[in-house]
Amino acid sequence: MAQSRLEKIGTIFTRIQGLLRGGAMKAEDKPIWYDVYAAFPPKLEPRYDRPASNLPIRRIFYAEDVVRAKLHKQNRPNETISLTDHRRNTQSQQFVQLYENLRSQGALDEQRIYETTLDLLAEQRQQLRSEERADDNLGTLPSDELETNKSSLLNDFQQAEEQQTTTPTSTPGKAKKEGVGINIDSLFKD
Amino acid sequence: MLRKTFNNLPRFGQLCARQVRPQSTQVAAAGAPNDVEPEDISNVEERILKHADYFQVHNLFTVRDLFNARVHYGHKEGSLDDRMRPYLYGSRLGHLIFDLDKTAAHLRDALNVAAHIAFRDGIILFFNRNALNAQLVEQKAREAGEFSHTRFWRGGIFTNANVQFDAVTRLPDLCIFLNTQNNVLTQHTAVRDSAKMAIPTIGIVDSNCNPNLITYPVPGNDDSPAAVELYCNLFKEAIWRGKRKRRELLGLPPLEEGSSSKDRRSRSFVKKN
Repeated sequence: MAQSRLEKIGTIFTRIQGLLRGGAMKAEDKPIWYDVYAAFPPKLEPRYDRPASNLPIRRIFYAEDVVRAKLHKQNRPNETISLTDHRRNTQSQQFVQLYENLRSQGALDEQRIYETTLDLLAEQRQQLRSEERADDNLGTLPSDELETNKSSLLNDFQQAEEQQTTTPTSTPGKAKKEGVGINIDSLFKD
Repeated sequence: MLRKTFNNLPRFGQLCARQVRPQSTQVAAAGAPNDVEPEDISNVEERILKHADYFQVHNLFTVRDLFNARVHYGHKEGSLDDRMRPYLYGSRLGHLIFDLDKTAAHLRDALNVAAHIAFRDGIILFFNRNALNAQLVEQKAREAGEFSHTRFWRGGIFTNANVQFDAVTRLPDLCIFLNTQNNVLTQHTAVRDSAKMAIPTIGIVDSNCNPNLITYPVPGNDDSPAAVELYCNLFKEAIWRGKRKRRELLGLPPLEEGSSSKDRRSRSFVKKN
């Protein structure tokens, strides 16, 4: 290969250009990227010795950071967040939203807004929780089954108790024969 | 007008028609397959370079896609390489954030170049030294019908190839680095070796990387699997666009998408005969 291997001098393009111009590399041996590079040169020359910039790094802050910092200082966040879930707002996002809403309405000072927002948020969460509980109770299939199991066990006990009261002298074997399967006497023996 | 006169010259096609894989000794020795191809292809290659975005790579992604793939997250401030400062948007509580507008512009340039190299039947090699993403990169490179290197880099694979492989070796025409670091401290040796061997490079450079030797650097997060998957898919699609166009212009049947490297091997075998 004819090219220079000194990667610290010039760029890959200038080195190949020099070879082509000087005739050390024939036009038909030109690497296939050469024309592409010539047509679409990179934004900055890929030189080894390109100096580093000393641009200052901007600090990213938002207006709502003040109240967010206050929230996090006074209430330690203990929320579990799914990073893949983009639909759901986190608690602190909800807080900031409510806070901004209240503030745009005016009429209250900062501290009062902060407190009412916290109250509102707690209320919302309470409501959400009770709704969830209602949803759970309303009967997805597995919980339904559990319910019936429970009630049947309860029924068994009740039936057994009735039998105890009606026929107090019945033997355990007899109770089994009748198909209930639970004898309160033997159950609480020890 | 000028083009017309050129086309009329009988030997012009021969003069300008580059051999398909000029560094490949087998093709040069055989010589014959070039006659099969229409002579037009080198003219086409010249012509499409005048087009700013011939393969329409600008519509492959939006800045929102980059954001959703977490491309904007850099490392912490302490590990910043000063050469990356122009690409940053700022620092959020000590964590550096990339300017996605700049990232998008650089990424579009890189995709365009990748598509053009693929159109010119170049060999493209994907690099990645992050064990978490290695399997993904290998798989995507295979799907693109190209090559990948995700393991320890033995020195001299490029610079001493003819001895190492015991044969005259054709080096890749484009290297795509999905991360440019070996570990947190040292740069991948292949970055330097590509520059030595005059192979252009595309590299995803995070805030702790050195972009100087990378021909087409793309500032962005190089650690998150989501981001790496996005880059892989974009480069795969750009490469496919280049290849599809080439086969279309040559009047060849389209390649099966998602074909493995086996197909490439068989393709070069066909060319040899």
